Amino acid sequence: MEGGDFLDLLQARSPQPPVAPLAVAPGPVHEGVEGTTILALRYRDGVLVAGDRRATMGNTVVYDRADKVLSIDDDAVMALSGSPAVAYEIARTLEISFQHFRRTQLQELSLDGKLRSLSRLLRENISMAMQGIGAVIPIFSAFDQLQSVGKIYFYDLLGAQFESVDFCTTGSGSPGIRGALYYLDRWGEQPLAQLEEADSLALVLKMLETAAEYDTATGGFKASARIYPQILRITANGIDALPEEAMAPFYQAQTSRST
Amino acid sequence: MLEDPYRFVEAVKNRREYLADQLQQASPVVGLPYAEGLLLLTTTPGPRKLFEIYNQVAFAAVGHPADMEKLRKAVIDLAHLDAFNLSPQDVSLQRMVSQGLGPLMKDAFDEIFRSPFIARALLAELDPPTGQECFYTVDADGSFGSSRTCAAVSGTPQSQTAILQYLENNDTAALPLEPALERALKAWGMGRIALDREEGTPPDEPALKDYLAQTLPGMRLEAAVLDRGRPTKSKFCLLDAPVLDQALAPYSSGESQ
Repeated sequence: MEGGDFLDLLQARSPQPPVAPLAVAPGPVHEGVEGTTILALRYRDGVLVAGDRRATMGNTVVYDRADKVLSIDDDAVMALSGSPAVAYEIARTLEISFQHFRRTQLQELSLDGKLRSLSRLLRENISMAMQGIGAVIPIFSAFDQLQSVGKIYFYDLLGAQFESVDFCTTGSGSPGIRGALYYLDRWGEQPLAQLEEADSLALVLKMLETAAEYDTATGGFKASARIYPQILRITANGIDALPEEAMAPFYQAQTSRST
Repeated sequence: MLEDPYRFVEAVKNRREYLADQLQQASPVVGLPYAEGLLLLTTTPGPRKLFEIYNQVAFAAVGHPADMEKLRKAVIDLAHLDAFNLSPQDVSLQRMVSQGLGPLMKDAFDEIFRSPFIARALLAELDPPTGQECFYTVDADGSFGSSRTCAAVSGTPQSQTAILQYLENNDTAALPLEPALERALKAWGMGRIALDREEGTPPDEPALKDYLAQTLPGMRLEAAVLDRGRPTKSKFCLLDAPVLDQALAPYSSGESQ
C-alpha cells in the first residue's frame, strides 16, 4: 500500500534533479539573494509575522516588492530569509503536501506533522546550504487550534526545529533589532506576548524601520512608491494580511513623534 | 485460456456479468448544477461516498469501499502532482479522467487474472476551462463519458437513465441550493425505484413522494457542493445536518401520514 505522504509520492513519480554532493565550492561563493529582515511576534490574539520587501544580490537591490511571508494553509505561515529560490520551492512543496494530506486522510495534518515536514525539506537541502548557494532559515508560525494559542518556531540551516518562542527575527537586519526586542520583552511595561494588536503592529513597523536603518539589505517603508512591509496576522479565525491602504495612515499615526 | 480468442471474449463477458452483479444494488449518486455551483447527492449505509479531490474538483463513487478509496487516492495524487509540477490552474478534470482514471480502470478490467475495480465513479469540476465539461462518469471497465448538464452513477444502466431523464425534464441550473437539493433528492428517488423495477413507466409525482417517504427514514443522506461563493480556495463543502434535515423534512414520518 502506498503511504499518504506527498513528499514520497513526489520522489517516486516526479523525481527532482539530483542534489549536488557536499563539497566546498571552488572559488568565490555566489552570494545569492539573501539580505532581509523578517520578524514574528506573539501578541494577545495570536501571532504577527512581518517582512521587509527588498531582495538583494550582493550590494545590488534586485527587487523591492518581494513577498517573504507566505501563508502555507489556513493556519500556518512561513517567513523566509535566505535563498528565495529554495524558500519558494519549500513553501510550495509544503502547501501542496498539506493539502494532499488533508484530502487523502480526511483530516488536517497536525502542527507537529507540519513542523516535521519542514524539517525534512530543510534536511534535504543541506548540501546546497553548506555550499553557500541555497541556504534557507525559515520562521514557521501557526495557530495551535488544540491549545488555542499562536506559536512561533524557528529553524537552523540543517533543519533542527526550535521550540516555540515569544518573538523571533532572522535575516541580515535582525541583529539590529534583536536586542531591542529582548529589552522590551524583559523590561517593557508588559511582555510582548500580552500586547494588544494595535500596539504589537506599531512595534513591528518600528522594528522593521530600525532594521532598515542599519542594514542596507532591508527595505524601508516607502510611502511615496507605495512600498510597505508585509504583515500577516494569525489568529483563531485564520490568516489575513494587513491591507496596504490601512498601512500608511497607521504608520503615520504610530511612528510620528508628537512633540 | 488466453491463446484462444473466443475464451478471451468469454472471460471479458464473465467479468462484465460479475461487475453488473456486484454493483446492481448500489445507491445512486446524482450530480447537477445549481445557481451557485454544482451539487452531488447520494445515500450511504456507512462510509462516506462524496469527497474533495482538489479546490474545484469533487469525486463520488458507488461500489466496493476499498476500490473507491484506491481510485480516490489515485485521482488526488494526480491532481496534486499536476498542481506541484505545473500550477493549481492546470489541474484539469478532463485530463485526470481521460489519461488517469479511465486507463487505470481499463487496465485492471483487462487483466483477467486480477480483480477489476468494483466501482463506478462520478467526478465534477466547478467552472472548467472553456470547451470542457463539468461532469464525468467512469464505469468499472474504464469507459468514460462527460456532460455539461448533469450526471449519475448507479447500480444499473436503467437506474442511471431514469435519473438523467428526470433531470432533463427538471432543470436545476438556475435554482438556489434548497430547491436544487429537493430535485436532487427526487432524481435520486427515480434512480432508486428503477433499481428495483426492471421496466415500466416512471412513477408520477405522488408515487415518487410515497416511495421517498417510505425509503428515506432508514437512510443516511449525504450531499456536497462545489460552491463558487466560498471565500476559500477550496470550493468543496459537505452539506451539514441542518440543511440535509430540512431537505428530508417533507418525507419524515410525521408529515408523510
